Amino acid sequence: MRPLTLRRLLLQCFALLLILFVVVVIAIKFGAVPVSLYALGRDLWNVLLHQRTNISSDYVLIIQNIRLPRILLGIIVGASLSVAGTSFQALLRNPLADPYVLGVSSGAGLGAILALILEPHLTLSPVFAALLTPLGAFLGAAATVAAVYFLGRREGQIDSTTLLLGGVITASFISAIIMFLMSTLTGNLRGLSFWLMGDLSTPLQKSVYWFLGIGFIAASGAIYTTASDLNLLLAGEKEAMHLGVDVPRIRLVVYIAASLLTGLAVSVSGAIGYVGLIVPHVMRLIFGSDHRTLLPTAAIGGAIAVVFADTLARTVVAPNELAVGAVTAVVGAPLFIYLLRRRLA
Amino acid sequence: MPQRAALFARKGNAGSPLGVSWGFFVGQWKFPRRGRFVKLTNQLLRRMIFAAAALLLGAAPSRAQGAFHSSPASPVYREVTDETGRSVRIPQPLRRIVSLAPSLTETVYALGVQDRLVGDTEFCDYPPDAQKKTKVGGAINPSLEQIAALHPDLVLVTKGLNRLETVHALDNLGIPSYATDPHSVNDIIASSKKLADLLGVPDVGASVAAEMEHQLAALRQRLASSPAERVLFVVWHQPLISVGKHTFIADALRYAGAVSIVDAEQDWPQISLEEAARLQPDYLVFAASHSETAPPGLEALSTLPGWRILEAVTNRRYAVISDAVNRPAPRIVAAIEELARQLHPEAFVEKPENLNEKPAKEKMDKEKTEKDKNEKMPLPPVQPPHSAFSMLSGVLRSSDTVPGGRACAR
Repeated sequence: MRPLTLRRLLLQCFALLLILFVVVVIAIKFGAVPVSLYALGRDLWNVLLHQRTNISSDYVLIIQNIRLPRILLGIIVGASLSVAGTSFQALLRNPLADPYVLGVSSGAGLGAILALILEPHLTLSPVFAALLTPLGAFLGAAATVAAVYFLGRREGQIDSTTLLLGGVITASFISAIIMFLMSTLTGNLRGLSFWLMGDLSTPLQKSVYWFLGIGFIAASGAIYTTASDLNLLLAGEKEAMHLGVDVPRIRLVVYIAASLLTGLAVSVSGAIGYVGLIVPHVMRLIFGSDHRTLLPTAAIGGAIAVVFADTLARTVVAPNELAVGAVTAVVGAPLFIYLLRRRLA
Repeated sequence: MPQRAALFARKGNAGSPLGVSWGFFVGQWKFPRRGRFVKLTNQLLRRMIFAAAALLLGAAPSRAQGAFHSSPASPVYREVTDETGRSVRIPQPLRRIVSLAPSLTETVYALGVQDRLVGDTEFCDYPPDAQKKTKVGGAINPSLEQIAALHPDLVLVTKGLNRLETVHALDNLGIPSYATDPHSVNDIIASSKKLADLLGVPDVGASVAAEMEHQLAALRQRLASSPAERVLFVVWHQPLISVGKHTFIADALRYAGAVSIVDAEQDWPQISLEEAARLQPDYLVFAASHSETAPPGLEALSTLPGWRILEAVTNRRYAVISDAVNRPAPRIVAAIEELARQLHPEAFVEKPENLNEKPAKEKMDKEKTEKDKNEKMPLPPVQPPHSAFSMLSGVLRSSDTVPGGRACAR
């Protein structure tokens, strides 16, 4: 096998970015309001020539204000979930790990809801109030990962069946708590049921995109520094330790960073399932399982998957919208079953 | 670049102690000494990611703000506080309105400014003309694109139906939205007045409000001597969902000479049949809307498991009224009167001229459904007084969406 070169890594990423670009163009083109690509190209040309006054078509406003922010959100959320999924798979040494399947998304959702409930009762500065939901989601995600991790441990080793079962049970337990909260609390929690299925339809404030972008870069950067150690970790914790990997440190870094990624993604988009499971698998099949390639390619692949799924969600029943989580689940759940059966065979 | 490539390739290192192949887990990679690679790629990737992110982040929403008002000269704004306490800057005069709730659409029509309504939801079906307006999707998940494409001066929302997220999204798009939040019939009247004021037709608003108040006052006078009936308002029958005490529907019931047996803080509480049986309502009240949400043939209700424990079911004491009762709009007064006529027929006996107001077509429908009823229905166990019965069936024709017209089978 050829050794990894930077050149090849960049080539792979470039190819994926090209696909992402095509998907983004598709996402810009299709939607409730029809858009002609020719007119769009012409207007883009005018923008590049700084002739903004020549732009007459008002759908450019729709693209700027609604579709692009949504696509951007899809990119960040998809990349976050996918990197989180890859990290959980390495951390828990289980190829079927995924923020959604393990209940981490539900945990983040519960954290976010609790933050929403708490918010009116706390007197906070506006800046901190805006961060409260993502913070709650992060804490919820972190707590759930910890719970699932300990549920999945048997005799000092992580047992993958127990882990998955633990995740499913935790997810349903958390869902029950969310249902309880939603049925007992009055007030505007109705939107939550939509949000819980995964929803990218709401444009956010500009600062939130910055916050998300920086959070994503920081967390996935932190995970990337451990990429080689994650490779060794796959051989087993003891083996990795013998090879000089500081396992507890790596575990802590990946655990916090992946929880953060999940929390960020869930706090803005709800629980979009299976992206963190399917995308890393596909990337592993194409590019191999070296985390140094896997992490960046999975990030771009996740972005492609979510932007594409969201385009479907927007257009299939237009002008109504599906929850994007429903689209990813329809594709992801059968694939999950397939992977599970292949593993058991 | 050549230097970097050399560092990365390091073919000579393949045999170093750490250049092991990890088989199943890591594929057949032979990789160079850990650390170096990571350091370099980190630096490089970090730069790349930063550049890409900056590009993406810079591209989309940053130039977006404030770009929405296509007419550069829209100088006059009015600062109002909506019913949820938000302060909204609304351009004056309002030329293009989008309504995100059926009730608001109805109110706009009632105020006679429907020509300014440029979009509404798929559920906006009354008056029939509202169905021809451009649809922006449902009330819960409207298409923001479609709304933006209509370039509205104002979007009307109602707290009881629309999502807060939609309002935030509109805020971010620079589209002003005005929210209503009526919790009683009086709120509905006040709310209609405020909307009329906002839309620049305060006179129409005042007359609509006066008409509503007049009808309600007349109704109150009629019902003065009738004791309130204890009713269960059925929002949904499987599971049984009713209305809480802070809803405008509960208030509307009071105006119709009825009182909801459900005394919940929540707006749409789920009620167990057991609880309903403990409270034993005199009547079940249904709102007949479209086929998909209409109660199943009320006949079927008594065959549903468990429902027979309600005396109102075994005695078929049902009242079915127009789904206008579900919509906090001026038409709710008609629904209230409809209910009052079914619950307190005795209060309406001496005024038969109301019957003549029904259009001819409805009369035909009435005859048809009446025939229908005679064929299909077993004799109701509790016979209503005769005069009232004929009276009642006349009134009931307005609920002609009920399958089989078995509206008030008591």
